[in-house]
Amino acid sequence: MSIETQAQQVIDLVKASGATGDLIIDQGESLSLKASEGELEEYKVSSSQILGLRVIKDGKVGTAYSEAVDKTALNSLVEQALTNASFTATEAHESIQLNNAQLMTDDTVLCPAEEVSIERKIEFSLGMERDLVAKPKVKNVPYNSVQDITGQRHIFSSAGLNARSKSRMCVAYAYALIEDGDKNAMEGAGQANRLFADLNVNDLVARAYSNTIDILEGSPVESGHYEVIFDEEMQASLFGVFSLMFSGKSAKDGVNPMREKLGHTIADTRLNIIDQPLNSQGFGYSLFDAEGIATAATPLITDGVLNTLIHNSATASFFDVATTGHASRSPKSTMGVGLHQVEIAAGEATSTDLFAGKYLLLTDLTGLHSGANAISGNFSFGASGYLCQDGERIQPVRGITVAGNFYEMLGKISLIGKDQYWNWEKSARMPHVRFADIAISG
Amino acid sequence: MLNPQSAQSVIDHGISLGADFAELFVEQSQSNTVSTLSNQVQSVESGIDFGIGIRLVYGSKVLYGYTNKPEADELKRIMSELAAKDLRVPGISSTNFDFRKVEDLHSAQRTLSIDSEVESKVAFLMAADAAARAAGNMISQTRGSCRQKEQNIELFNSEGLHTTDTRQYIRTGLTSIASDGSEQATGSWSDGGLLGWELQDDISAEKTGSEASRQALVNLSARACPSGRMPVIIGNGFGGVIFHEACGHLLETTSVAKKASVFHDQMGQMIANPCVNAVDDGLLLKQWGSINIDDEGLDTQRTQLIKDGQLTSFLVDRIGAQQTGFSATGSGRRESYKFAPASRMRNTFIEPGDAELDDMIGSIDRGIYASHMGGGSVQPGTGEFNFAVTEGYYIENGKIQYPVKAATLISTGPAVLKEISMVGKDFSLACGMCGSVSGAVPTSVGQATLKVDDILVGGNA
Repeated sequence: MSIETQAQQVIDLVKASGATGDLIIDQGESLSLKASEGELEEYKVSSSQILGLRVIKDGKVGTAYSEAVDKTALNSLVEQALTNASFTATEAHESIQLNNAQLMTDDTVLCPAEEVSIERKIEFSLGMERDLVAKPKVKNVPYNSVQDITGQRHIFSSAGLNARSKSRMCVAYAYALIEDGDKNAMEGAGQANRLFADLNVNDLVARAYSNTIDILEGSPVESGHYEVIFDEEMQASLFGVFSLMFSGKSAKDGVNPMREKLGHTIADTRLNIIDQPLNSQGFGYSLFDAEGIATAATPLITDGVLNTLIHNSATASFFDVATTGHASRSPKSTMGVGLHQVEIAAGEATSTDLFAGKYLLLTDLTGLHSGANAISGNFSFGASGYLCQDGERIQPVRGITVAGNFYEMLGKISLIGKDQYWNWEKSARMPHVRFADIAISG
Repeated sequence: MLNPQSAQSVIDHGISLGADFAELFVEQSQSNTVSTLSNQVQSVESGIDFGIGIRLVYGSKVLYGYTNKPEADELKRIMSELAAKDLRVPGISSTNFDFRKVEDLHSAQRTLSIDSEVESKVAFLMAADAAARAAGNMISQTRGSCRQKEQNIELFNSEGLHTTDTRQYIRTGLTSIASDGSEQATGSWSDGGLLGWELQDDISAEKTGSEASRQALVNLSARACPSGRMPVIIGNGFGGVIFHEACGHLLETTSVAKKASVFHDQMGQMIANPCVNAVDDGLLLKQWGSINIDDEGLDTQRTQLIKDGQLTSFLVDRIGAQQTGFSATGSGRRESYKFAPASRMRNTFIEPGDAELDDMIGSIDRGIYASHMGGGSVQPGTGEFNFAVTEGYYIENGKIQYPVKAATLISTGPAVLKEISMVGKDFSLACGMCGSVSGAVPTSVGQATLKVDDILVGGNA
């Protein structure tokens, strides 16, 4: 049964029941390889499909999903969603948008054709492990992977929406374990590109090795308050952990501490944060959101002022504003909101200013999922990195914690750099931000 | 779920491609989640997961694929694709399956396939919300959930194994948010197990709500946590996450076989203080991390990991047994058909001792009592771990002084095991989801309250 036939069958059943609805069909194919001691340790291929239905009947919303796609399963999918809707409270603000757009992403940009033999991918995987193991003091490379992933999403609705996106991502990463006497360290590096040919094994191996060997001799610094710069990976992760602050859904649910701060200064006035869904260099590229609403750049914080929260049509209706095109839904979930691709605008600090004097460069944070409370803003993470002086790394640092309140930290910015960087997964683009007065325990 | 004739032709196809071992893992699961926000039902979600995982083993190399399509031709196509670079002398096999019926040790009653019982779950969550709000008008919001899942699995392998198992999971809980106008703080409580909604008979909505709010209010009044190296008392139940992270992951052959665990060559050695006895037990009745059989079809067991401080066993799956020479411990687990199995924990805990909490507190000049812990993570290669304190108190001169917030404990597994100096009597288990190479699996953690003499506390005072 083709995708369109499946969708038509489901949407017809939804309409026949007197409901409206939309259906997400996600499909994916992937290959992943792992190497160990010169051999391919894992070779994994997958082919998957999942349908996620949302129905609205009598003002009540229900969702259901299925990985089975036979006729019986599709009938059951609709029945379940309708049954689930019958239990929920009436939701006056959620509706299927009167949107019959026909949208399609550009495969030549997001999913470029490329002939790559499996032998070449295997050689990349084996070569990456081999070259890293050959470096001095590397004991092994316990975590490594080469992946080629293609994902496709269709959204159909009872209003006639037909939106399709397709994207390819080629990923390689490697984490080396280095041992030297009693000391050990494990760090790594990764790359993500749309073309396999753009993955660079030599660069990856060099960075994975230097990230690990450089930290090996690390020791704690004295406890105290430091000026801190997070590297491009950790800074993107940190802002990601606290992205609830922009959520219109959390504001509607009464748990977003920024709900009453729209139009207020919540950060240093040099800070500008924008969601940039249409930058196709990144993997957060989104032509449309989970309701099929076309996306656009959204200024979130402008000169330190909270400009807007992000909305889907339901949260927008609740706050009596227009949707910002940030509806987010997986086939298994209910409708929420999500950022597409966060960018911090370039600041004015030169590298000389940014890296002047003494500061801590943090290159790894642990416990990001458990050590943060996005509602209160409080966090405490394990950390490692380098004590630096005028841009020079003067001591590798391990076994410390960094703690504070993220929302207060936004007001403690010393400098914002002029150059922007992608994190390796290309989900966020930011300049380095230097924070003042951050509590470090060693 | 898959007819044995189809399974046989697919398994035989795998052996004909020269594989040493071929396996099919068929899964059909249904789930239902009721979510509440304050005193309203926010959503009811349900769904069907269905797919087949295909594993071929050549030596110690694992080839894995999965699909949602159950047709034999599709399964053979994936096998052929997987094996394309490993073709060896074709094996000849005509696998005769010997169906093995697995005894269900946990026999759930109110299961999802009988009735999802949404009204009853809503009533429980409403009662929990009311109890949470009764704690005072500073409770500004509650979020409740009740998630039930029925996982049906069927396994076929080239050694003739054919078996099925059904796992019934339930978990319910509530998070309270307390607000004083300028600050917000959270507290939560949850229960769960390997059973149906009869869980309701063993738990109390009143306790769920009041505990969540008590913790939220404590955290709202908490001060910044002092930092630095100091003794820490870690509470019972979910406090066992310290052992899970600091030691449990390092005993899985997934990291031992790669020599990516600091304990890989320490079998039989003293790796902990002699007061430490630790177990990973898959047999505990109706416990969240229990299983009848593992996801490779092997019987589960109780595995003594550490006895009087000495390392006595690793957690071993099929491939781990092959790679390390240790016997399999029925620990091969996976989140779903989308993952190859790996050695994983089940119900992992430190056995109780005989110390009293008052004696532990009295022995500390300056330290922390972490009565409730959150999650954490570990880097197996170095043993470096972190975990979050969700309810903690500052201790000075042998007495509890005031609550503290936003603290993380960090150390390494080998170091902290030797720093455990007192283990209490108040043993309990708690539910968690453990994420690792084979996905997120239900595991219990547990311990009695215990004292760690020296650990780095990260606070922001």
